Amino acid sequence: MALYTVGRRRVIIALLLTSVLLLTLDLRGNPVLDRVRDGFSRIMEPIESATDVVTTPASRAWRGITDYDDLERENEALQDQLDRLIGTQATARISVQEYQELRALLDLPSLAAIPTEVAQVVGASSNNLDQIIEINKGRSSGFKAGMPVVNQAGLIGKITSVTDNTAKVMLITDARYVVPVRVQAAPDSAVPVETSPSGRTDEELRDLVTTTQAPPSTLVTDVLDTGTVLPQNDPEAVPGVTTTTLPEDGAEAPVETDPAVVPSSDPASASSTTSTTTTTTIVTDLAPKEFGALEGRGRGLLPQIRFLQDNPSLATLQVGDLVVTAGGFDSLAPPDIPVGVVVNRADRSGPGGPLLDIQPYADVTRLNFVRVVKYTPLSEVEQ
Amino acid sequence: MLAALWQGPLVRIVPVGMLLLALQRSIFTEITVAGVILQVVLALAAAAGAAGGSERGAVAGFVLGLMYDMLEGLPLGSTAVAFTLAGAVAGLLALIVAEPHWWLAMLFTGLGAAVGEIMVPVVRLFTGTTDPFEQRLTLIVPVVAAAAALLSPIFVPLARWCLGIKRSEWVAPPSESTP
Repeated sequence: MALYTVGRRRVIIALLLTSVLLLTLDLRGNPVLDRVRDGFSRIMEPIESATDVVTTPASRAWRGITDYDDLERENEALQDQLDRLIGTQATARISVQEYQELRALLDLPSLAAIPTEVAQVVGASSNNLDQIIEINKGRSSGFKAGMPVVNQAGLIGKITSVTDNTAKVMLITDARYVVPVRVQAAPDSAVPVETSPSGRTDEELRDLVTTTQAPPSTLVTDVLDTGTVLPQNDPEAVPGVTTTTLPEDGAEAPVETDPAVVPSSDPASASSTTSTTTTTTIVTDLAPKEFGALEGRGRGLLPQIRFLQDNPSLATLQVGDLVVTAGGFDSLAPPDIPVGVVVNRADRSGPGGPLLDIQPYADVTRLNFVRVVKYTPLSEVEQ
Repeated sequence: MLAALWQGPLVRIVPVGMLLLALQRSIFTEITVAGVILQVVLALAAAAGAAGGSERGAVAGFVLGLMYDMLEGLPLGSTAVAFTLAGAVAGLLALIVAEPHWWLAMLFTGLGAAVGEIMVPVVRLFTGTTDPFEQRLTLIVPVVAAAAALLSPIFVPLARWCLGIKRSEWVAPPSESTP
């Protein structure tokens, strides 16, 4: 008997063609296949739970052996980070309040109004290409494919498929992930706005004017606690927003304002100054530097933003700029979810504009609890 | 063909595959080598080929691949194509020798696993993923292949049991009877 006959080749070809047929049907969307998948997931649930329990000791032992040194170093680094965060926490809470007030004044939609729900990460993709995690809530919690997922640091991805009790979340580092984003100036690059209280010389003004600097490279969000996401850590971080501290002698002429000037009378907002000062927040330019699409590039590689154009006369994109979601009519993510910070800029020849490497705020390699933002794109709302 | 799928081998390959899938998604996502997740389900598909030939390897790979797709939420058939080819390629061993040595089975299991791992991004390319060939693939493929090869002394007998393959018994030809 021949070992490799035409008949045997036919079987292999038939199996390959069947795979292609199933692939085509599934990619076009097939409710029968979806139900089969759901059913198989249900069957596997108890097996996976049991396996998880049995293998956890072995897994922990392996990690204890291989990751001990890394954990020790990380623990020290985290302790340093915690100390710094405690110092900035109070400022951050005030910033959240001020941010909400500003948004309310400008009549902008706020993320706090969007319902969210916490879920726990229960698994990760077991192949080497996908950057997908699995969470323990699904359709029964109102989750739908496309909903953005965040953690306390910022955006981590979007839901790509749901079953009744689980959902798959594609991380922002996955090569297939794309989200519209906005680049804004870093806190350190915020230029103080000249103010002109009458009767003061420039030197006196320099002595009087105190520009509050934002904590360096610190992003504070309170997503899981308050359901609120900050676009950046401080109002001062917004380009053109400057806090000016003046003596309260009553002799000052009113600051010249235009419709963009927003006086802040909230005592909380002045808490960073003494009780004898008046804080004036001047919003001169909230315009972002540039819009673009953030694309994941796979495990171990930083996501990139490709820009349609780069106009240096309007703004210079640079390392340290902040990246937040842009929102928009078709975008699956609402605006202003923090995404990351620009860590590298690569200029390209031609009209392609620069490439920006983004360091995500969220460490997507270590996720436990996440929050699903139940956001429906405007394009679907209007339908 | 479908009737053939539901005969004997599937009764064993499905539960074994389910168990390996559960292991794949639990302990083997934790235990990585140079950041590469070892693919035990793919290793079983390749081992089935090395144990039973191209046809059986392809059937085992197809079934295991479908199960993998269903559980991972991948497009149904995308991994099945890769695993089918892995089983079929590993089964080429049967062209060389009927009763292979363990090291030959190891070699072909590794080869089949390598082909299967390479096929994953190839299939992605056809399903619309732009640039699925990561640079890490040059690391991923050898590690996955080496792991499959190392697992073959366990997985080849397991696959042989799943597929109901019995070792050939060499018997002496009947002695010529004297007239």
